[in-house]
Order: sequence, then structure tokens, then C-alpha cells
Amino acid sequence: MADHGQGTSTNIGDKIIAHVANSDVMIHFELFGIDLSITKHVIMLWIAAGLLVTVALYASRKYRSEERPIPSGFTNAFEFVVDFVRTSILIPTVGKDHVLKWGPLVMSFFFLILTMNFLGLMPMFNYINHGHGGTTATGNFNMTAALAVITFFAIIIAGIMEHGFFKHWKNMVPGDVPKAVLIILIPIEIMSMFVRPFALTMRLAANMTAGHIAMLAIFAPIFILHNIYIGIGSVALNVGITFLEIIVSIVQAYVFTLLSSVFIGQSIHPNH
Amino acid sequence: MENLLNFDSGLMYWTWITFIVVLVILGSKAWKPMIKALENRENFIRESLEEAEAARQEADKVALEYEAMVAKARQEAQNIVAAGKETAERMKADILNEAQDKSAGILKQAEIQIVAEREKAIAEIRTQIVDISMAAAEKIIAKSLTPEDNERLIEDALKDYGKN
Repeated sequence: MADHGQGTSTNIGDKIIAHVANSDVMIHFELFGIDLSITKHVIMLWIAAGLLVTVALYASRKYRSEERPIPSGFTNAFEFVVDFVRTSILIPTVGKDHVLKWGPLVMSFFFLILTMNFLGLMPMFNYINHGHGGTTATGNFNMTAALAVITFFAIIIAGIMEHGFFKHWKNMVPGDVPKAVLIILIPIEIMSMFVRPFALTMRLAANMTAGHIAMLAIFAPIFILHNIYIGIGSVALNVGITFLEIIVSIVQAYVFTLLSSVFIGQSIHPNH
Repeated sequence: MENLLNFDSGLMYWTWITFIVVLVILGSKAWKPMIKALENRENFIRESLEEAEAARQEADKVALEYEAMVAKARQEAQNIVAAGKETAERMKADILNEAQDKSAGILKQAEIQIVAEREKAIAEIRTQIVDISMAAAEKIIAKSLTPEDNERLIEDALKDYGKN
């Protein structure tokens, strides 16, 4: 980081943004006119996915071969998290009968987001693409928007699968309200349909980016004042913030997953 | 790259592709087997607990029945002992009564027999006395008495005796 801060006239704000932003396109790649360029966040996404698939397949090997497996060690710890998602997210939102149907999607959300959040905390991805600090893939709005789009469609598919195509759209507004109210209610419901994934997008990306910006801002005075002694205070403060970031990583993965599951559940069980 | 809000379709497409790959692989290989196993275990534990509860209630019921049976048996045993005692008492009383009756009868019969024997003895003695008296009197009086006197004396004597 020191080499970036050396230029005295450099705008420190731009530097911070450069650290948390995605890299330039590393490999330009297009398929049937679709831009599939590979950037740092794509690589981080792949690393996270590869790590998750490896770990999850390893941890779940007993469950594929045994009727009633008794977990131990790492499998037990992994099962604890899976059961946490099942009992505290899935069952209360989509209901016990739909856990097996929507569990894989919700579990994939939780574990993939959590893995990417944790990877972003590790200050090693600056080695990809020559410098540029420890950015987080889930801090990128494009990534969270893509995930929220999956939630958006999952909500609609869940409703249609449960109630049929027309009944699902009818379920979005209460059946027993006066016609006049519907004039206000229908636009609100349509807006809410799009606002929900938008909020998911913003919440996750902003939270994951904010911690990194705060940490970089706390380091900034060292380079602005050219005084390494400020570093003692900065490092101490950032150690604390790192612990906070660990909590934020877990909480944001939980919140994104929980809200996705709640929306899917509302679509399955419209409580109007 | 200098703007955090740059639109980056590449990342979006890769996110979808990667997510679907993760979903397909882990959905069938990890999440579903684990969810099923957790549900199975939950059901197994619930069923085991219910079975244990049922077994406990059954055991309680059996214990109660057993206790009732023991109490009933004890009561019956007591009844049998009591009945036995009563029968024994009654039999004892009967035997005693019978014995008493019998002994009383024997005594009475003995008394009657004694009385009869005595009377018989007395009659015999009297006859003998008369004979002896007659013989003695004959011997003493034979020479001085006439046959008429003799006859009169006998008559008198018989009359006296008859008075007695």
C-alpha cells in the first residue's frame, strides 16, 4: 500500500476507491456477443465457489453414503451451520414442507456469500492484478445485483409453483380490499417487487465495501502525514475493525439469505 | 475501475453461471442429503422420545397392575387365612361340643346303669336276706312253732318288708 500513498499530490479518496473497486478487465472474453470478461472479482468468485464446493463435498460425504450418519469433527461443525440455516432461516420462512425444495438455493446463497465475504477479509488478493488492496467480491454491486436477480426470479417461481401462474399474481394483493384501494395498492406491490431485490443488492454491497473503506481511511493518515508512528494507532484500531468485519460478514450473509428466504416464503404462503 | 458503481456485465454473467454450478453440484450432493439426514434424525429422535414415553407409560401401567395384583393376592391370602382360622375355630368348637355331649351321654348312661345295678343288687340282697332269715328263723323257730305260727310269721315278715 505504501507505494500507492507516496505521491504527495494523490487524492487519497481516489486511492481508497481504487483499493475497494474491482480490477480492470484482466482477460477480455466474449461469447455470442456476451461480455464474459474476467476481472479480479470473477477470480475471487471462482476461488470462493471452488473452496465451498470442495469443503461442502468433503463435509457431506457421509450424508451421501449413510442412511443416518453420525457426524464428528469438521462434519459436525459444518452440519451445525447447515442446521442453523435450516432451522432459523428455512423452516420459519418457507415452512417445513418446502425446506427440501428451497433449501439448496438458500443454502447456496448463504454459504457462497459467506465464503466470499470471508475471502474479502483476507489481505491477499492484492497479489492478483498487481497491487490494489483487499477488495471483496460481494462488495461489488454487479455481483450482489446478480444474486438479487436470482432471488427476484426465485420469488416468482416459488409463487407460480405453489399457486399457479395467475393465482400467484393475484396473491400479491389482498383479495378483500375495496376496488379503490387497489388503485394505490397494485403500483405499491409492483414497486415492492423490484425494491426488494434492489435493497438486497445495496445492503450487501454497501456493507461489505464500507468496512474496507473505513479500514483504508484509518490507514490513510500514515501516508498523508508521512509518519509511521501513526501506524501504531491505525493498526490497533484496524485489528478491532477486522473483528467487527468478521461479524458483519456473517450477519450480511445471514441477512441476504434470510430476506431472500422470507420473500420466497411470502410467495408460497401469501398472508393476505 | 475508478467508480464503484460501474456496470460490469461480465461479473454478473459469471455470478449467475458460478452460482448455478454451485447450486447444481451442492444441491444434489451436499444440501439435499444433509437436509434429509437432519430431517431423518429429527424424526428419529422425536419417534424415539415418543416411544420411550409410551414405554414408560406402559411400564407405569404394568407396575400399577402388578401392585394391584400383589395387593389383591395379599388380600386373598389374608381372606384364606382368616377363613381357615374361622373354620378351625368352628371345627374346634364343634369337636368340643360333640365331646362334651358324648361325655355327658356316657356319664348319664353310667349313672342309669349304676342306679339299675344298685337296685338289682338291693333286690338280690333282699332276697338273700329273706332266704337267710328264713333259714335262720327256720332253724331257731322250727321246734317251737306250729306250721300255722310259721306261716303267720312269714306273712308278717313279708308285710314289713313290703312296707319298706
